[in-house]
Amino acid sequence: MRSRFDEQLSLLNRKMIQMGAECEELIAFVAKALLNGDVESAGKVKEQGREIDEMEREIEAICLKLLLQQQPVAKDLRVISAALKMITDMERIGDQAEDIAEIIPFLLGRTGAEFADFKPMAEATCKMVTDSMDAYVRQDLDLAKAVIKHDDIVDDAFGRMKDMLIKMISENNADGEYAVDLLMIAKYFERIGDHAVNIAEWVEFSVTGVHKGV
Amino acid sequence: MTKKIFRSVFTVALVVLLASIGIATSFIYDYFNDFQVKRLKAELSLVADTVNEVGVEYFENFDSTVFRFTVVDPVGDVLYDTQVNASEMENHADREEIAEAFESGAGSSARNSSTLTEKTFYEAVRLENGDVLRISVSQLTVGALVLGMLPAIIAIILIAAIVAGVLSHATARKVTEPLMQLDLEHPSENSTYEELTPILTKLHKQHKQIRSQMETLRRKSDEFEQIVSSMNEGLVLLDEHGMVLSMNAAAMKIFAVKGETVGSDFLLVDRTSKMSKAIWNALEGSRSEYTEERSGSEYQFTVNPIESVGRVLGAVILVFDISDRAFAERNRQEFTANVTHELKTPLQSIIGSAELLENGLVRPEDTGRFVGNIRKEATRLVSLINDIIRLSQLDENHEPATESVELTEVAKEVVEVLTVSATKRNVTLCMEGEPQTIYGVRRYIYEIIYNLCDNAIRYNVDGGRVEVRIGRDNGHASVSVKDTGIGIAPEHQNRIFERFYRVDKSHSKETGGTGLGLSIVKHAVQFHSGRIELDSEPGKGTTVTVTF
Repeated sequence: MRSRFDEQLSLLNRKMIQMGAECEELIAFVAKALLNGDVESAGKVKEQGREIDEMEREIEAICLKLLLQQQPVAKDLRVISAALKMITDMERIGDQAEDIAEIIPFLLGRTGAEFADFKPMAEATCKMVTDSMDAYVRQDLDLAKAVIKHDDIVDDAFGRMKDMLIKMISENNADGEYAVDLLMIAKYFERIGDHAVNIAEWVEFSVTGVHKGV
Repeated sequence: MTKKIFRSVFTVALVVLLASIGIATSFIYDYFNDFQVKRLKAELSLVADTVNEVGVEYFENFDSTVFRFTVVDPVGDVLYDTQVNASEMENHADREEIAEAFESGAGSSARNSSTLTEKTFYEAVRLENGDVLRISVSQLTVGALVLGMLPAIIAIILIAAIVAGVLSHATARKVTEPLMQLDLEHPSENSTYEELTPILTKLHKQHKQIRSQMETLRRKSDEFEQIVSSMNEGLVLLDEHGMVLSMNAAAMKIFAVKGETVGSDFLLVDRTSKMSKAIWNALEGSRSEYTEERSGSEYQFTVNPIESVGRVLGAVILVFDISDRAFAERNRQEFTANVTHELKTPLQSIIGSAELLENGLVRPEDTGRFVGNIRKEATRLVSLINDIIRLSQLDENHEPATESVELTEVAKEVVEVLTVSATKRNVTLCMEGEPQTIYGVRRYIYEIIYNLCDNAIRYNVDGGRVEVRIGRDNGHASVSVKDTGIGIAPEHQNRIFERFYRVDKSHSKETGGTGLGLSIVKHAVQFHSGRIELDSEPGKGTTVTVTF
């Protein structure tokens, strides 16, 4: 009975890692398409987004089955409940990456000077997602804490981006739609960073049993 | 084993003890019976003699507690008894011993008492007066005897059992002790029971066999380890659940892992979806292959299933660094693109001029210019094609005849040929150095010096200088071409030997040349196993030294 439980737990772990990897790749792919003004590849993310949604449902089913049939306690319970919360964040990351990809065609391949600020922001966000997944895979508390700290960088980048866009609109040297699109993308990146922080916090919870938000 | 030996020895001891007690008791009882009968007979004959002489009155003062005497007349009536009043006794005629005595003069019998606890022995003899004298004695039966001795027997058995227990335990110990102390690691060095020798010998043989097999296995795994660890390619072995069985140093570097990974899920090492899918495929039994860039290098990942009798036992991941191959591939593609472009440009120009001429759109006084243009472009095309042919000859590496070549002679020839174009660009061309003879292909060496000088003149400034120096450098003949030209920026220095590479792409038409010159130089130098050194600074000039 126990060995079956362990087997299912390790299956859950594998699925989580795979889903995390999908999210990581998706966001990296979208960021690259954005920075290169690559309209064509931006259209290819639908498939990956659906795959992530499917994985979310699959993991959800595994978690619920484990909770119902095995009635886990202590650390096992923490791991499973953290997984349930984390997949929601991962799924949101996937959705927002898709949202960014949807906006890319409206930029019409423009990659002007405004993009100078996008690059560090996109890179920092991708790093946060990757690091939060690494923290999960290795159950690395220090890395999880580093991710939570790293959020400030993305937040700052968003602030700068916003100021720049306000200036751009007030100087009237760009059409409003373009500026708003850029703002949306920046906001999505910022949100993705927040979700990465959430994941890191749940990693912390599953290791220590203490959740920062509580 | 000790227990078993103990139990059997103990049982044997008890059985022997009980049996001997039983047998001894019955023997002794029989012996006593005999003895009793003999004593009875002796006593009887003695008393009978006396009674014969004295008469029954003998018994008047006879005191007998042990023996009982009875006198019976021939009818069977008891005349006298030493213990009971004779008148109260019944007729004894039918008693076995008495009847026997009346008949034959003497009789004997033995009867158990009614309670079975006593046995009475009777001896009878006929007296001279015809009466029968009977003597009898009672004693305990075997059962009663044993019953009476029971406490003693139990005590004996208990003591014997304790002694037997201690002794048999000690015996069992003693028997098994050598077995317990057998040194199974060195079976042949034991000296115990002879009966064990065949087993020990066999054991010794098997020990040796196992040791040699272990040694072979260890050597093989060492060999495998050695080969795998010195491989440049990454190699990872996975079991059927995707757990890492083995991972070599190169793979650890490529996947950027530190510490032990054996026994953990490969997902923890690499979780990219491409890899997950490839492994999944492999565990399903099909091979997959993909390339991916990692930390600046291009890698090819091959994931193969490990199959045995139709069952997948695991997967093997092989990682090749194909950066060089990818680079070469890119180069080749670039070269093809360049060649077509370079060949097309002069042709377009020729076609354009020819069309204008054909349609009579050219004024007669301009015809010469257009025809000249066509000739110029055609010449360019020919020289380009010549260069390509020469390059491909060098590429093919077929061995032309080598001979002794005198470098200054070749250099002089080059200088003579190029003086015209040098003068045209207002560049001074001079040559110095002492004769140096090397063994090589004259045409190639001419090509080297010609192309170097040609470039030096072409990319020079107005009023510049080109010096060709033939000399000796560390015992090797060398040619150096020094100019006062425009120089080459450091970022281009690595690439100028590539085919069609141009530092200034926009002005290539102006300066002329095919873009293949230095490529030819490189190949020709390589053919002579020489070395090219480039020393250049933008704006000051360039020195190219070729050492053979």
